[in-house]
Amino acid sequence: MSSWNSLWKWGSVALLAYVIVRGFSTPLQPGLVESSPSRLAPGKHALTLQAVGQPFAEPDAESADFSLILRSGKELVRTDITAITPHSVEADVIIPEAVPSPAMDAFLFTPEAGTLFLGNAFFVEDAAVGPLPADLRAEAPTEVAPDLGFSFPYQPTIVESIRNLLWHVPMWFAMFFVMGIGFVASLAQLRTGLVKWDLRAEAAVRTGLVFGILGLATGSLWARFTWGAWWVSDPQLNGALVTVLLYSGYRVLRAALGEDERVGRIAAVYNVFAFVMLVILLMVLPRYTESLHPGKDGNPGFNSYDLDNSLRAVFYPAVIGWGALCYWMYTLRLRMNRVEHHLLTR
Amino acid sequence: MNFRPMAHLFANALEGFFFGSGKAHVVTGVALIILAGLAMSLWRMDRRLRRLESEQHDPKA
Repeated sequence: MSSWNSLWKWGSVALLAYVIVRGFSTPLQPGLVESSPSRLAPGKHALTLQAVGQPFAEPDAESADFSLILRSGKELVRTDITAITPHSVEADVIIPEAVPSPAMDAFLFTPEAGTLFLGNAFFVEDAAVGPLPADLRAEAPTEVAPDLGFSFPYQPTIVESIRNLLWHVPMWFAMFFVMGIGFVASLAQLRTGLVKWDLRAEAAVRTGLVFGILGLATGSLWARFTWGAWWVSDPQLNGALVTVLLYSGYRVLRAALGEDERVGRIAAVYNVFAFVMLVILLMVLPRYTESLHPGKDGNPGFNSYDLDNSLRAVFYPAVIGWGALCYWMYTLRLRMNRVEHHLLTR
Repeated sequence: MNFRPMAHLFANALEGFFFGSGKAHVVTGVALIILAGLAMSLWRMDRRLRRLESEQHDPKA
């Protein structure tokens, strides 16, 4: 093996080792996840808000350094913090007889972790709609930039499972990459009729299928933790499954044709069709419909505001690492195909 | 559709499972062992294929 050949192969393994260690050891930024009691009536209440991720306060933190403010409509409601722990805050609040909006968001201003937010944290019952009394109004304190070191961004609903981004998304990228190689090889096969292109297409589809199945499995696991079900009838998810089934059909077709001399040409036509369907099912159709999946209509994706620099520092190596590992597997399968073809035709 | 109640349940369960009990290190270790095993098997396959390829190009070998 030449040195460059060894370098990129072992480089991909080293990158993935880095991704695994960084991906599982990097702490999550703090975020509010739970409020109690969630329903309030006019009067005095003791509130508790729970957080996950990195601690937002030292164990001996002073309550005076923190500020919890509720937002009702466009007005801010004052609270008095009674206790602070690294992952929770307790506060007293007085709910007046009239509030601008029954739904209240919570903002926890911290001296080091920035501002923590929980949308619709509380719901006020049995109160009229009206302006807040002046003595219950609060002024928003000056926000401080969070100083949390190297940590992954907190995303509501996704929370700790954001680490799956380093597996699920790069695996699909790798599948797209190698299926693209297969598509080009099949076009070349149709144009030239040379067996070498058929061997390439077969190796690409076989490798791509492995990554497609891994992408489905990691996606299903993610859905379980974020949406509460292993599978939901969603255009993106169903499209991904149909794509994998289509490519499985390619393998079935080849097996059915056996040693037929037309196998290369027929399989190439099928592979071109399958790749076009892959693009339509995964990249076009989900954008025209409502989808739970990030990046599609009605749902935020991992955009510039989600993928912060700490996540990028692990996500990009993951994309390169999984892509290179996939390409390594593809080249091995291709060489195996060539050896096999040589033995069968000599 | 509101997913927040579900997020509360699972977020805390996941948090506790991975980090509260120190299992994140176990997961990291297992993932590294699987990666090392995969890399070794690919490397061995690479070597064997190279041998087969050289035999094919040199029939006397």
